[in-house]
Amino acid sequence: MLRSLTAGIVLAFAGSRANVARTILSCAGIVVGVGALIMVVTAGDLGQRYATAFSEANAGRAATMEVSVYGEVTDLGAFEEDLGRAGALETTVYNRMEASPPLRKGDQVLQDVSFVGVDATLGDIRRINMAEGRWFTEADLESRSPVLVVNQALAAELGDFTDIQIGTDQWTDVRIVGVSQSSTFDSDWYSAYLLRAPLTGELVFGSSWAPEDDAASQVTYLARIDPADSAAEEMFGGGEFTDRLLSASWRWGLDEPENLMVYRSDYAETTDELIGYLSLGLIGVAVITLTTGLLGVLNVGLVTVRERRRELATYRALGASRFTLFVAVVMEAVVVAVVAGLIALALSWALVAAGGAVIGRLMWLPPDITVAVPPSAALVGLGSAALVGLLAGIIPAIRALRASVVAGLRE
Amino acid sequence: MTAEAPYPVAVRGPRAAGPPLLQVQGLTRHFMVSGARIDVLHDCTFDVARGEVVAIVGQSGSGKSTLLNVLGLLDKPSSGSYVFDGVETTPLREGRRSRLRGDGIGFVFQQFHLLERRSALANVSVPMVLAGVPVLRRRSRSKELLESVGLGHRLNSQPHQLSGGEQQRVALARALSREPALILADEPTGALDATSSTMIMDQLIDQSRVRDAAVVVVTHDPKVAERADRVVELVEGRTR
Repeated sequence: MLRSLTAGIVLAFAGSRANVARTILSCAGIVVGVGALIMVVTAGDLGQRYATAFSEANAGRAATMEVSVYGEVTDLGAFEEDLGRAGALETTVYNRMEASPPLRKGDQVLQDVSFVGVDATLGDIRRINMAEGRWFTEADLESRSPVLVVNQALAAELGDFTDIQIGTDQWTDVRIVGVSQSSTFDSDWYSAYLLRAPLTGELVFGSSWAPEDDAASQVTYLARIDPADSAAEEMFGGGEFTDRLLSASWRWGLDEPENLMVYRSDYAETTDELIGYLSLGLIGVAVITLTTGLLGVLNVGLVTVRERRRELATYRALGASRFTLFVAVVMEAVVVAVVAGLIALALSWALVAAGGAVIGRLMWLPPDITVAVPPSAALVGLGSAALVGLLAGIIPAIRALRASVVAGLRE
Repeated sequence: MTAEAPYPVAVRGPRAAGPPLLQVQGLTRHFMVSGARIDVLHDCTFDVARGEVVAIVGQSGSGKSTLLNVLGLLDKPSSGSYVFDGVETTPLREGRRSRLRGDGIGFVFQQFHLLERRSALANVSVPMVLAGVPVLRRRSRSKELLESVGLGHRLNSQPHQLSGGEQQRVALARALSREPALILADEPTGALDATSSTMIMDQLIDQSRVRDAAVVVVTHDPKVAERADRVVELVEGRTR
């Protein structure tokens, strides 16, 4: 069996090498089909990674729940504890300041800066791409002045970060520790993250903040839970997570259950679903193309088996078993298909590299998103090519076995 | 009633000692064509010893090629017995017949049946590829065989670059590559001129003598039949 298999493979390689024209003819259809498949998988992979990065940067990693309380929270500490009990792995306050204070640098006063009060853990919940400097650390909590991370638009406006002040009832010096990359949404206007610290409670929570009771009104938090948690399955409403919080809401003084609103803010699942449908459609197109390639190889295989009856009969006369001949004919198709797959892979590689260079000039991509053929696409492409070769080789091989040796030798 | 054969029929040459390499006993072969039975071979009986050269002669349609196909295990008899190298071949399955054919029988065809677009060296290697002989050994053996038939200078030539006589010598080298006990030659000189025919028959007989291989030659050519140790005549499918 092993001897027959080896002999079949050796004959297949020799046959493919000897019949270059036949090999090239068979290759053409598969190159297009496999190339299309590789490009689809590459595009799907790139889309998936880009969408994930976009979702993680703008809405949070999977699964991020946004929790808002529209009344008073009488004990923020107890509320945060209950977020943990409800399944949160990390939490951060995420309060947009409605009446944003102005920033001042020298004589220049910037009124339209959008501030969000956050904890350092936001860096774990969201993908924060830093253009300069660093994200907040625990040490920043001890800072004697408010600590900020500003976006690129604001950083460009401010120039250097010395002598910057924030205005409330009086001007207070602030410290800018980093610049975050501007996202699609905030590239045109100024925004800044303000670290929640004992010193900045009033800035973050506004006038409702009561430090002696650790109470505030109108608060918003982000809580990252395990994506496998059943509460993460509800993209809208967040009923299960709400129920978990409501079960102990007396601890933090929720007056009306309607004043608690929870929803899943990241859109990883929606994106996955969308990309899944898109990929399905594109894979359908690739499969049709690949099937056309398969039919091409099958056609060439059937014609050549007919033309090669004498050659195949000679092999039999020289001692080739039926199994050896079967393996030789099937493997010839597989060899042709895999060669075509390798050509398709090389072409796709070049095309993706060229496309990546163009995309890189046209739009900003996160640094960890590279435009390249992923290993999965190469594997899928070569695997499909081998499968197509196998399928396209079987029918000619069966026909080769059925042919009479004696009749073949007479030709 | 048959026509007088133009060659010496049933000439008994010196037979090699030892048990026969092949024994054919009461062998028949018929075909069904459009529901009608056509008997090609009837009750053929003969044997061939190791080292013996036997010519099978007969008119066209007498069943020579059918007999050669049965002897080469390419076809199965309808009835009767065919023992090759001590093995009764008639009940054997296809896989065993292929192995027996590859290991013990070499073929030389009238039209050479060399593989196009492959070198002489590659053509001679094919039976060894099928036998799983390692690549270096089969290369050196193929080279040695081609040198032994006087083609040491044409190792890398493809069939279309060789003359008919040279192609047949490549085919002979290929037939000898597994050191078979039996060489079956179907009109080996049928496509060659007189000089090449003589050369091929000389080499076929010489090589078989050197290797103690039996040779069964199907031929129309009286000169070829004359070279055999013995002639078996087929008349309307029966051996004489």
